[in-house]
Amino acid sequence: MGEQEDRHDRATRRLWPALALPGTFWLIALFLVPIYAVMAVAFSASINIFGEPVPAWNPLDWRYATFFDVVQASVTGPYQEVWIRTGVYCVVALVICVVVGFPVAYYTARLAGKRRGLILALILAPWWINYITRMLAWINLLQDDGYVNKTLGIFGIAPVDWLSGNSYTVVLALAYGYLPFFIIPLFASLDRIDQRLLEASRDLGSGSVRTFLRVTLPLSKMGLITALVITALPMAGDYYTNTLVSGSPKTNMIGNQIELFLLQGPLKHYGASLVLLLSLVLMFFMAYYLILTQRAGRDAQ
Amino acid sequence: MSFDPTDPAWRHRPRHRPQLSRRAFLRGGLWLGAGIGAAPLLASCNNAYPAVQSAGYPLARPNNPVRLPIRDSNPPIENGLEPETGGDFKILNYDAYMAPGIMKDFGDRHGVQVQVTPYSNYDEMLAKIRTPGESFDLVFPGPSVLSKMVYAELLQPMNHSYVPNLKNLWPEYQDPWYDRGARYTVPYTIYGTGVMYRADRVTSIPDNGYDLMWDEAYAGKVYLLDDLSEAIGMSLLRNHITKDINTGDPAFVQEATNSIIDLIGRVNVKTDVSAYSEVPEGTATIHQSWSGDPIAGQYYLPKGETPDVLGYWRPKDPKDRVIGSDNIAIPKSAAKPVLSHMMINDLLDNDIALRNFGWNGYQPPLNKLSARYLIDQGYIPENLMSAVVLPEDFDFGLTFYEVTPDIEALWRQFWAEFKAGG
Repeated sequence: MGEQEDRHDRATRRLWPALALPGTFWLIALFLVPIYAVMAVAFSASINIFGEPVPAWNPLDWRYATFFDVVQASVTGPYQEVWIRTGVYCVVALVICVVVGFPVAYYTARLAGKRRGLILALILAPWWINYITRMLAWINLLQDDGYVNKTLGIFGIAPVDWLSGNSYTVVLALAYGYLPFFIIPLFASLDRIDQRLLEASRDLGSGSVRTFLRVTLPLSKMGLITALVITALPMAGDYYTNTLVSGSPKTNMIGNQIELFLLQGPLKHYGASLVLLLSLVLMFFMAYYLILTQRAGRDAQ
Repeated sequence: MSFDPTDPAWRHRPRHRPQLSRRAFLRGGLWLGAGIGAAPLLASCNNAYPAVQSAGYPLARPNNPVRLPIRDSNPPIENGLEPETGGDFKILNYDAYMAPGIMKDFGDRHGVQVQVTPYSNYDEMLAKIRTPGESFDLVFPGPSVLSKMVYAELLQPMNHSYVPNLKNLWPEYQDPWYDRGARYTVPYTIYGTGVMYRADRVTSIPDNGYDLMWDEAYAGKVYLLDDLSEAIGMSLLRNHITKDINTGDPAFVQEATNSIIDLIGRVNVKTDVSAYSEVPEGTATIHQSWSGDPIAGQYYLPKGETPDVLGYWRPKDPKDRVIGSDNIAIPKSAAKPVLSHMMINDLLDNDIALRNFGWNGYQPPLNKLSARYLIDQGYIPENLMSAVVLPEDFDFGLTFYEVTPDIEALWRQFWAEFKAGG
């Protein structure tokens, strides 16, 4: 008996690390190696005949002049505005996501009843079509003589010059593009709220508004934050939405700046430095999120 | 601002070029050095060969022509080979830069499928041609990227025995300053840079036509070329900062950049390279453009409109004009190098070149296709005469050269500021 248990123990001890292997491989191959490559480019000290940085694989060769230049340009220099713009666009787009997405998620989770499957399918339907194709469709709709302006015309509203480099078009496009990312995790969390807690709240004399504010909202807080994080991360690095619906320097986001350096010309170490900086900023928010989740986990226990 | 690179006082002033070895220079913080070292390095460009050390190879200038090296490891093809047949013939070129009919005829004649991989600037072209395992049979690099492509062995030398039509070229292009002996290239087109506009919307043209782009009356419909040299170079000239459009002086480039940044708030300026369609269609009222754009633009007019609605401005004095040329070259990776030579020879044929001009609007520098001839043949309407490039433009005009990596980095950092929205 004892021997068998022992063997069983050993097997389990090996099983758990084995199960972690794919994840570990994933993390190393698709996260650590690329990040290291980005660092090797950002901290490169020499250039080739095309003026491009030669990746410095040995950390002893790293030089930080470019990175500090980029940090300085971001904090006080010409990129400061781009960072602020990116932040503002993301915050406003997220607010739109909350205003539009929360009621949808709430309705689907709590009130849709039998139609729930259908509504979920409809929310996910845009994902059946490629993101860029959807955005290209919007370009047709938003053109000077497109359907959007024609519809506005019916109500006597003057046509809007949507595509000539406007902040509001970019923000609306971002909100539209990432809304499903927002709704789904929020739906999952609203769906998990125990019906009995809501009933208890009603029984104790709270109206529906108070129940929502005192019970549903606090219980869905983590879901809401998760949804915000999942939406905000790709939004902060987005560049193609902007390229498609605006293309003007006036609405340039940090992703566009990175694209400019990485895809056009030899200054790839500038682009790589911006990538590192963006990762650092996002990591800061991510860390805050992880602390919140941990705290929530502790509270639940 | 009174900077004139031809001013002897400037050229002969004591140079304090950093005396560093190449390696030390690169290691020692090239980017910090860009600001301090660029101006004297530029001054040295005007002097005798081998003046430019930081590029690692001589930089071609009209007064300092280069003969590009032919290495044993990268020889031209042998004489008298049979042309290849079957499969694809792959061209790496700007979009809409070669007449589709010419490509189709060539393909039919030689039993190949002619395919074009398009790029919208040299950065993209370089990225595509350098893709490992990728092979192209023709490419169209201008003088500003030529030397580095040769020294990086991206191109193969030509065998002139396959290109008898070389004799059709303007004499100076049979032996150009950027490629003495036409070892790697033949010219494809020549062009100037100016401002294309809708003549029906623009009532008066200022003496300095570049000012059209700063005119709030056309806000929302103003476009710059999406090309950092052209955009910043134009601003250097418009604002009389310097006539040296290859300047490495950070203060000059900064001032020129600030001026185009001003366009963002002033007229909501946008950037692309599609003047040939956007001005005729009316999307753009004012568009910085190459001289081929207005000529090709005639074919993009909506039904019922005549070429009268198009206008084109270039500086009157040839000394103020920006001019350039594109070349045809054979990538080292070419799978069908004999056919590459044959297509080059075709494109230098007077009839084929005329047909190509009739489609893309860009003049080939062939003796027979003089400006007068093209006008007489009815290719250029009276109101677009300013889009014709003349030989004297090339005697006096301003050209973008291949510059040192630090000057290039300097321009690109300022361009990134413009792209950042100011």
